[in-house]
Amino acid sequence: MAEPVSTLPLARSASSSWKGPVAIGILALVILAVGSVSLPTFLVNNMIRAFLYAAVALTVDVLWGYTGILTFGQSAFFGIGAYAAGLIFTHEGFSWSLAAAALAAGLGVSWVVSRAVGWLAFYHGASPLYASVVTLVLPIVLVQGIYSGGEFTGSSSGLSGFDSIDIPLEAWFFIAGALLTVLAVTAWLFVRSDAGRLLVAIRENESRCEYLGIDVSRYKARLMDICAVIAAFAGFLFACVQMVVAPEYAGFVFGTELVIWVALGGRGSLIGPIVGAMLIDVGSAYLSGNLPYIWTLLVGVAFVVVIVAMPRGLAPVVASAVRRAVPRRRGTAPRPVAFLAAKPREKADADATRPALSLTNVQKHFGSLKVLDGISFDAHAGELLSLIGPNGAGKSTLMRCIADGAERSSGRVTIGGTDIGKLAPYDCVALGVGRKFQTATVFESMSVAEALRIARHRVSPPSKWKRDATLELPQPALDVLRLTGLDRIPERECRYLSHGQKQALELAMVLALEPRTVLLDEPTAGLTKQERTQIGEIFVALSSQYRMCLLLVEHDLEFVQQISSRIIVLHQGRIVMDGGVHDVVHSDLVRAVYAGETHAAENAA
Amino acid sequence: MKAIPTLIRQAGTLVMLAMASHAVLAADPVKIGVPVGLSGANSVVAPSVVQAAQLAVDEINAKGGILGRQVSLEVADDGSGAAGAQKAFDSLIFDKKVNALISMETSAARNAGLPIVTRGKVPFIYTSFYEGRSCNRYMYVDAWVPDQQVAPIVDYFVKQYHAKTFFLIGSDYAFGRGMLDFTKTYIEKQGGKVVGNEYLPMDGSDWTPIISKLQGAKPDAIITSTAGGAPNVTLTKQLRAAGVRVPYGNLAVDEGTAKSMGVDAEGIYISGSYVTNIDTPANKTFMAAMQKRFGSDLKTPNDLSVPEYEAIYLYKAAVEKSGSFDTAKVIPALAQVSFDGPRGTIQMSKQRHTPLTMYLGQVQANGSVKVIQSFKNVDPGAQCPALK
Amino acid sequence: MLNLGLDIATTAAILFIVSAGLLMVFGVMKIINFSHGAFLTVGGYASVIVAHAGLGWWWSVPCALAVGFVLGMLVERFIVRPLYARPLDAILATWGLGIIVGQIITLIFGRGVQMVASPVDGAVPFLGTQYSAYRLILVGVAVLVALALGWLVNGTRLGLQTRAVIMNEALARGLGISSARVRFMTFCTGAALASTAGCLITPLASVDPNMGVPWIVGAFMLVLVSGSSLVSLAVASLVLGGAQVLVSTFVNPVLGGLTIAVLAAVLLRFRPEGFARG
Repeated sequence: MAEPVSTLPLARSASSSWKGPVAIGILALVILAVGSVSLPTFLVNNMIRAFLYAAVALTVDVLWGYTGILTFGQSAFFGIGAYAAGLIFTHEGFSWSLAAAALAAGLGVSWVVSRAVGWLAFYHGASPLYASVVTLVLPIVLVQGIYSGGEFTGSSSGLSGFDSIDIPLEAWFFIAGALLTVLAVTAWLFVRSDAGRLLVAIRENESRCEYLGIDVSRYKARLMDICAVIAAFAGFLFACVQMVVAPEYAGFVFGTELVIWVALGGRGSLIGPIVGAMLIDVGSAYLSGNLPYIWTLLVGVAFVVVIVAMPRGLAPVVASAVRRAVPRRRGTAPRPVAFLAAKPREKADADATRPALSLTNVQKHFGSLKVLDGISFDAHAGELLSLIGPNGAGKSTLMRCIADGAERSSGRVTIGGTDIGKLAPYDCVALGVGRKFQTATVFESMSVAEALRIARHRVSPPSKWKRDATLELPQPALDVLRLTGLDRIPERECRYLSHGQKQALELAMVLALEPRTVLLDEPTAGLTKQERTQIGEIFVALSSQYRMCLLLVEHDLEFVQQISSRIIVLHQGRIVMDGGVHDVVHSDLVRAVYAGETHAAENAA
Repeated sequence: MKAIPTLIRQAGTLVMLAMASHAVLAADPVKIGVPVGLSGANSVVAPSVVQAAQLAVDEINAKGGILGRQVSLEVADDGSGAAGAQKAFDSLIFDKKVNALISMETSAARNAGLPIVTRGKVPFIYTSFYEGRSCNRYMYVDAWVPDQQVAPIVDYFVKQYHAKTFFLIGSDYAFGRGMLDFTKTYIEKQGGKVVGNEYLPMDGSDWTPIISKLQGAKPDAIITSTAGGAPNVTLTKQLRAAGVRVPYGNLAVDEGTAKSMGVDAEGIYISGSYVTNIDTPANKTFMAAMQKRFGSDLKTPNDLSVPEYEAIYLYKAAVEKSGSFDTAKVIPALAQVSFDGPRGTIQMSKQRHTPLTMYLGQVQANGSVKVIQSFKNVDPGAQCPALK
Repeated sequence: MLNLGLDIATTAAILFIVSAGLLMVFGVMKIINFSHGAFLTVGGYASVIVAHAGLGWWWSVPCALAVGFVLGMLVERFIVRPLYARPLDAILATWGLGIIVGQIITLIFGRGVQMVASPVDGAVPFLGTQYSAYRLILVGVAVLVALALGWLVNGTRLGLQTRAVIMNEALARGLGISSARVRFMTFCTGAALASTAGCLITPLASVDPNMGVPWIVGAFMLVLVSGSSLVSLAVASLVLGGAQVLVSTFVNPVLGGLTIAVLAAVLLRFRPEGFARG
């Protein structure tokens, strides 16, 4: 799901104030008002359509450019809104109450259809390809339904000649333009805000988001619902001003055209798709008459070239040219975020007697291959439990079984006394477990502070329209940041961090969840000796000082010996030993299992 | 003191400018807008339509134009669909400011353009056959509607082949359904029975289940109304491949496609208001003129392009009758004028539509169409009772 | 009843032939080649060219194979290879390519519908009923294609390497298999297959610049429910193709046209592996 080329370093504006975008919005409204009366009628007509298309293109950008959901189906929602108006005005006539009913119907039906699409396409483990397929099938089915509707829906000819809201074209120009402006400003504020960063986080690393307690599927579905309703509203207005609806407005050719406009204009930039949609639509009115076949060919070639060679589209090219031409007067350095200590949410020793983690007869098999068999143990708060064993013993699988309810084949896992059943990772996080992956997975194009704020999403939802200057983190996370120096570089992008820094950041992110149990999958892989010592100290502090239960998968026996309070040895999917450090390290069994490493264990002892 | 000669000189310049511009205005050409499907589904037939329009305009200009003004054509691409039509109609009416729109469209394009025609208050002559009952204050139609096209085929099948049971096949869109609904009603009125009425999506190419049903129903005759182009060809091919040889009337195939279908098309009956070998002096003159004007680039005139030619002449007649280009005067005049063209006498006097001579033809082995019967003055029926 | 059975068998055969090329590409490269429709169209026009040259129809098959293969080479090199890490973008780029190819074909051949004479005409008696001869032949062709592909994948060295890459690309590369070459050959073969399929369906359909488009979504859904197995594709073609025929015959053909897409989408929701073994 992480697409390397799509980690676009989106330009972030200097101030987090909402005044900028709103001021630009008001200016745009003024220009619209002036333009509505001064532009020639032909251009006014065309631009009304272009505004509404651009509004829909904006939703495609939010869904695809920012969140990574490739959708061909926004045209279907546009069509639903348009046909709601067309059908009611044709069969029932026009009145203001009927118009309100049509609008309600259009928005309502869109919302229901979007829920259905969301149920089909967004669930834990769904592939993005499948989601795109569903959005492709939607307009096909809808258009076929329209064709089959005979005279009721107008079939292939569409519906025309119905009465509609009787206001002059200039007023429509302003209304359509105002809709686009309001949408653009709102979207701009949202994607810049702290909550908006989640879109990019999902696009870059959906799995990490799930393990940070975010119900990604539900979020995507909600986002699509909102975009569907917006597209339907644009479609409704379209039908009202054009007084015609036709199946092609709901079809997948239009749906793919929207994607093409967004790709060409510049995905993930908001202004790119708006300009792209308007330029191509208005331009085609002028040019397609002169070059009917070449026009489509040119657009096709430009599209392929952009996707292959310039995936960010043309907007960044234009933006950098503008930036070079117009020197910024103010400094571009964003205001650094300050980290503060958060008040602990839960009482530290809520239930010290109940085990933090309890496994009973957990099994995992792939077909006939048994990877885990009869795993049973309890772990308590304050324990630093290390899981060792040769490769292929099933250690990572065991970690997954604890953090993801759907992973194991049978057996029981309880976290903090609650059976995780078949819960998805984000629900397991809610029960108090945090998992740190083997390879450091953070959000490449985000800054340290932004990544940490995403981690706090579940605990303290970020603002949907502004950027906070402070971020509260629990003390353990702050300790990790201070110890590794990350608290001094909150604005550095994660892609520029060293491997050790990424490991530390991911650990801080997991700790930001305020878990009671932390699963650490080979945390010392790739670290220098000094970093290893540092992180070992942190782990010890987490378990002894903060009373967390730590479960560590490790290969470095020396490291394990130094910090653990208890060691479990896994071999061929079974627990072969479970006891104190000294007993395990000096046992014959372990020596046999780790044939080559007994020397190191003996020498250290 | 010195200012007065300057003033007079300035005034004189102004007067001369005014006279010159008036002279320029007087020579302003009459613009006829032709929004047509240069791309999209109609792009196969669009060139022939443009050619027919060009010939009409050239001939009219050679004889002095309309009311002393030369005529010029403005062609725009409507993409054969609603979105493109809106752009094309907008461009022609509000940007190029044409005096009239005369063209053929798909129904979706026509419906999308009508609100713009109403807003722009420009006469619009629709030159394509269609499913009927489209009405607009500014629109006239000089092509046929189902009421005119279906009867010849059904009557012939009943009389010649004693057909009692019919199987109807169509593409699932407005024209296909409209034609076959009318056909079904007409057949039942004549005492026949419809034993099957099946539709495939417009872009469908696999007629297998329908053909199987047809073979099960064993009808005396088949009548089809599929979308133009590929569906016609695929259906015919698959029917022949399945060995179906009952009398086959195709409501939606033109001469050109029939010719290109080769041996599979032999025996198909078609009905229309124009075939190239109509034996009248008017058609022969028209064909000769087209051949001379376009030579080897000539696109075969057909039932979609010849009405365009005649419509331009009808517009000329209406303007001359009303003495002005003013829409309010031209619209009523269009119902009163007539023109003798390759298809016979055309007068759009029946609720904006025109009685036509319909020809029943059969495709021969060499691809040409032999005229079997002709029906004069077939009435279009009640198309727009609300308009007069 | 027999007719219905034959309808199902022949429809499944046609679907299999059309989708086999797409399956190869998806199985190995995990991308959906949305220009599949364009390759079908290219194959159709290959038979037009052969017909214009006066050669017998059966020459179209090798001609289509060759043209498809060459075109596949160009596409893989310039469009698919740079997008290996971006599968969703690969869908878009191949879709754009399909548009481009369609426009170029229109420019060269015009937008009109072309006819290609069928090599085998009319219906023949078969098991007591009259049935279209060509459709019956296609069942045989489908079996041939399946056998040929099966031999290619299971009986040749390249096939073995391909299977290795499908199962575990990183490991295969670690063992010295050039996965780039495997993917290149796979794509070219898939494209050649698509082109051949296009020429094989011309006797039943017409040739026009958009002839491939209606097949894309159906083939695409069939491949998604088949994973990377030829056997699953055959099963899917029979089951979903059969459903399409049944719905078209007993309900109406409009819903029938939607059957494959809708059924496949719902099936994948509950069983993401589709018909492939889990």
